[in-house]
Amino acid sequence: MSLPLPALLNAVAAALANEVAPALQLLGQPEAPDANYAGGTAATAAMILMLAAAEAAGGPAREAAAAAAARPLLGDAAAGRDNRMAALGHLLAAGDRRALPLLIAEAEAAYAALGLPPPVRVTGEVTGGPA
Amino acid sequence: MPAEHLARWLSAQWGEAVAIHGLKRFHGGSARQTYRFDAVAASGRREALVLRRDPPSSLIETDRLAEYRAIQCFAGSAVPVPQPIFCDTGPEAFGSPGFLMREVAGGQAGGLLEPDPYGAHAAAIGQQFFTALGLIHAADPAAAGLPAMAPADAALARLAHWQAALVADRFQPEPVLDAAIAWLVGNPPPPPARISIVHGDYRSGNFLHDGAGRLLAILDWEMVHPGDAHEDLAWACDPLWSHSSGRAGGMLPLDAAIAAWEAASGLSLNPAAWRWWRVLAQVQGLVIWISAAREIIDGRSHDPVLMFAGTIPYRFHTLTLARTLDTL
Repeated sequence: MSLPLPALLNAVAAALANEVAPALQLLGQPEAPDANYAGGTAATAAMILMLAAAEAAGGPAREAAAAAAARPLLGDAAAGRDNRMAALGHLLAAGDRRALPLLIAEAEAAYAALGLPPPVRVTGEVTGGPA
Repeated sequence: MPAEHLARWLSAQWGEAVAIHGLKRFHGGSARQTYRFDAVAASGRREALVLRRDPPSSLIETDRLAEYRAIQCFAGSAVPVPQPIFCDTGPEAFGSPGFLMREVAGGQAGGLLEPDPYGAHAAAIGQQFFTALGLIHAADPAAAGLPAMAPADAALARLAHWQAALVADRFQPEPVLDAAIAWLVGNPPPPPARISIVHGDYRSGNFLHDGAGRLLAILDWEMVHPGDAHEDLAWACDPLWSHSSGRAGGMLPLDAAIAAWEAASGLSLNPAAWRWWRVLAQVQGLVIWISAAREIIDGRSHDPVLMFAGTIPYRFHTLTLARTLDTL
């Protein structure tokens, strides 16, 4: 997902104004409602802002790389996330699995941008589990 | 949170004046607002209580009573749950529909991004966690007030549920998700041996433990419904909840988790069903994260928890589902 930056930034600002600030004003008062929640809200909002900043810095290069990789298969439809995803979706629906490596690569790049540990398979001696 | 609602209702219930102390909202529980507080009566009676009530906007639209009935169903059983007290489907008692239960003292929950939330007690807690899941699945759905369902309908009912949510909330092309849904539609699983109580969000993070190896309470029953027990098992074993450990729920190797579940439920894992429900688990996750993002994009919520859901778990499940498609 391309982060909807304007919506996220507006939402973070609203969260800080409407939930954290009033609660922080009450911190130190034993009866303060929402004080615990304020801490969690502020921490989560800070993480979202860091993600948004990383997205702003690295998103365009990632998008350009994804479009370049898909262009041999999609032509002009490779430009722009939604156009590319729709075109790859049509190919997949038609049974053309050449779309899948492109989708996997794009998902890997988007996840890597988060800076988190990679997904690890949950495995065991059970047959039939694909994930 | 209007404490006066709580004080008024508890005073009427206890027959004496009750004051509310230490009212605080938890950071967690994305589909409900959750508060804890102490109710203190004039006589000295004091109880630590937890309120869960509907927020203006939540990740998932859920039945107010179903969660409460499920907790009631298992109260006092070998499946540990908080002790339920009262449910109000209207706004009178709590300001919005919600219910009250006793606080589980000393409980702690594992966070999604914690690398090893259960430490040396992971195996012990995991054994209890997957045993409790089996016991839930061994229970009669009618005891939790759930409607009857034909086994043949279980899988496609859940798929239809998430498809409808996706139609309502999607805001951009999702080729991976669409391809996975097409596979699920075209490859339905065998029906379950029986219909079970499905918790609906049974996973690491949705239970309390004491930090010393004991499971204290299974929480967050708001998505409970009748269905195929494989659904809960697949969700609980999804890599998103493994804390990057490769263990089911970050606690047990997969085969050990399934063995505990089989022993307690009396059910046997069906490999074909398991394969289908593991894909469905990722589809379910993605739809939930898309719905969360849609709440933010449309301006219906500014809760950072929903922003989080629409970013990190969204990308996680997009990636795992794309890789899974490559194996189908």
